[in-house]
Amino acid sequence: MSEQNPVVSIRNLFKKFGNFTALNGVSLDVQAGEVHALLGDNGAGKSTLIKILSGVYPPTGGEVWVEGRRARFNSPRDASRVGIGTVYQDLALNALTSVTRNFFLGREMVWGMGPLGFLQMAEMDRITTEQMAKIGINIADPGQNVGTLSGGQRQTLAIARAIYFGARVLILDEPTSALGQKQQMEVLKTIRQVRDLGNIAIILITHNEIHARLISDRYTFLSLGEVIGKGTAKDLEGDDIKRLMAGGAEIGDLAAELAA
Amino acid sequence: MPNPTDPNSGNQAPVGRTESDRLRKRGRLKNLVQRPEIGPFGVLILLMLALGFFSIPAGVDSWNPFAGEGFNALGIRNNTRLIAQLGIIAIGAGLLIIAGEFDLSIGSMIGFAGMCMGVMLKWGFHVSLPWWVNTPEGLTFGWVQVLSIPTVDPWLAVCLTLCFTLFFGWLIGFIVVRTGLASFIVSLSFLFFLRGLTEVSYRAFNKAPDQSSGSTQVSGLPDIKNIIHLPGHGEIELSHAKKLPHEDLMSVYDTMTPTQVESLTEKLAFTNKRFAETKTQINETKALESITRDLKFAEQSGNTTLQETLKGRLETLDIPPVTPKTVTDADIARAHLESFPTVNPLADFFGGDILERLFDWLYVIGWNVNNYGNQFSHGFYSAVMIWLIIAVAAYLVLSRTQAGNWIYSTGGDLEAAKANGVPTGKVKISLFMFSAFCATIFAAAQVFETNAADAAKGNLKELEAIAAAVIGGVVLTGGFGTVFGIVLGAAIFGIAREAFFYIPFIDGSFYRVFLGLVLLTAALANENIRKRITGGI
Repeated sequence: MSEQNPVVSIRNLFKKFGNFTALNGVSLDVQAGEVHALLGDNGAGKSTLIKILSGVYPPTGGEVWVEGRRARFNSPRDASRVGIGTVYQDLALNALTSVTRNFFLGREMVWGMGPLGFLQMAEMDRITTEQMAKIGINIADPGQNVGTLSGGQRQTLAIARAIYFGARVLILDEPTSALGQKQQMEVLKTIRQVRDLGNIAIILITHNEIHARLISDRYTFLSLGEVIGKGTAKDLEGDDIKRLMAGGAEIGDLAAELAA
Repeated sequence: MPNPTDPNSGNQAPVGRTESDRLRKRGRLKNLVQRPEIGPFGVLILLMLALGFFSIPAGVDSWNPFAGEGFNALGIRNNTRLIAQLGIIAIGAGLLIIAGEFDLSIGSMIGFAGMCMGVMLKWGFHVSLPWWVNTPEGLTFGWVQVLSIPTVDPWLAVCLTLCFTLFFGWLIGFIVVRTGLASFIVSLSFLFFLRGLTEVSYRAFNKAPDQSSGSTQVSGLPDIKNIIHLPGHGEIELSHAKKLPHEDLMSVYDTMTPTQVESLTEKLAFTNKRFAETKTQINETKALESITRDLKFAEQSGNTTLQETLKGRLETLDIPPVTPKTVTDADIARAHLESFPTVNPLADFFGGDILERLFDWLYVIGWNVNNYGNQFSHGFYSAVMIWLIIAVAAYLVLSRTQAGNWIYSTGGDLEAAKANGVPTGKVKISLFMFSAFCATIFAAAQVFETNAADAAKGNLKELEAIAAAVIGGVVLTGGFGTVFGIVLGAAIFGIAREAFFYIPFIDGSFYRVFLGLVLLTAALANENIRKRITGGI
């Protein structure tokens, strides 16, 4: 994999909330067509990092480069304009309306001027079905309500939406948590499909070591606001991952500890 | 109901099935039955049948629901007005609930808008500002008139009123969006604020001659919608024009073309003939009743001679037919005055009648006839047309436009809508303004129809509007509901009272008991539907 042109490059990022240092000089490169797992325990700074990337907070210091250009953003809108698509845990879907209406929510295709323009429903239905199929989910009816979709399908919808609206970097915030076993696999398959599209960089935040290992190409471990380890899937042995995820502390044999 | 969150129920993995196969198992009929509007629709049909059936007068042997008072021409005219007026504000309230907010100020807004229009139409529009005034005693604080429009025509009255009400609608929305306070409490404040402002304003303008206390109404406005332009008399109310002296009417007659005279003569002769026929029939029935009654008494008392006489009279009974009134030239001139166009089309739009031709035709074919042989009703109230226009527009916006998608998502999941860049604040403020707009239209229809305004108008209407929307399938927590449902809800609400009034042996006020139960059932059903859609059950 070429290390030449990362889609997103984070250089020495700082974030302070008053006296509290949430991020203390984090650097990170993500290539196109690569799943980059961002791992770390609670409070490691993962959320702060993705909130800076998606434009919710401005950084205190450091730079974010997207496709070779310095990116500065003041709002989530700015971030999505430069191609950073964030899929949050709550997915930002309205369960009470249809798949298509959610897919195009806020960016509807209309005939005519302004918000009173008429929706191009047939065209939007077609695109929705097509885009969902592209990453592996065939929905029966784009007019069905999102409430009737499974958790995995919702995740796919949110990912497909982010990609269709120009995401070059896809940030997935714990996409497999709160899902059933089978749906977790479905989502992982979806993520792999997106990776195989080849032009999108994926940042995957997860607590689940097994899921990270199944689909990630590269790892970055955060602890207390700093990078404590990074490497490719090949470089890291199973116990390394476990140890680094826990913030560098050695995890003894839990069974033995509990038995004591 | 399968649990969609657990795909692994059962031991065997389903072969060849995917998640999406779990949907689409319902047939068309089931889909239709599961539509949220089906319940209200059924209730409406039942109420209409009850109204049609029970309003047939006792003794009339008929199954025709149009034979009774509920659905005769006048019944339809009055019932549709009631439904339409409620329907107009229910659409405003309903759209706002779909976006997740409440407006309790609708009723007070109606009173306020009616006051604005009434006062302006009667006394004009004047703006005074407190300022330093130069008087012989020096500079004092006083009022300076900066703007004065002594006569306000309906256009200006409606437009200025809309400026005020839309501003208050905007203000309510702005406060709700900016402060994050519950719209319940903000709009409740405006319920009191606007009602109070309305009464204060009335009294300020409407001082009684002794300056003790002012009335809280405006009455005695001219019949603005029926003012015509009559050459030689200028602008004159239709009812006044009809009472003009004979020679004036004759001069109107002289301007008519022979074809106009001919067709009006024919029309009036027809009416006179029908009136005379009905009168003859009434006379005959009365005579028959009287003789039959006497005969019954005679039989009871055993007076055989009287019985014979009465029986003889019954056989030879011959009521002379009433001769139809001849059509005079003055009658023709009066009828011709009615065809003069109004000089205030806007007032006619709000307060006049529509489909008059249809109702004329219904008279000719013999249905729209009252007991005296005259025409029963002259058309639908204009409010019905306004209601339908607003309903169609609201349907198009809600179901077919980008704004509609924003409204649904604002109420369905506010955070999701915000995250996707929907301007949720603007959506809410616009809908508060739309709600105020609907209240203003309601007031305009009332003011121009009755030529009066009253501070008490619109009392409790906000709750009726919300109830109608909920009966029509709008979920109170937002995000769910249709305009068609709201239209049905208003129809149910409007017709329930009439239907219960005619059901024999029960108190008419049971309609409120009934509406309470319907409202509760609807709220439960709506919540059920919402849960089913969100996968809660």
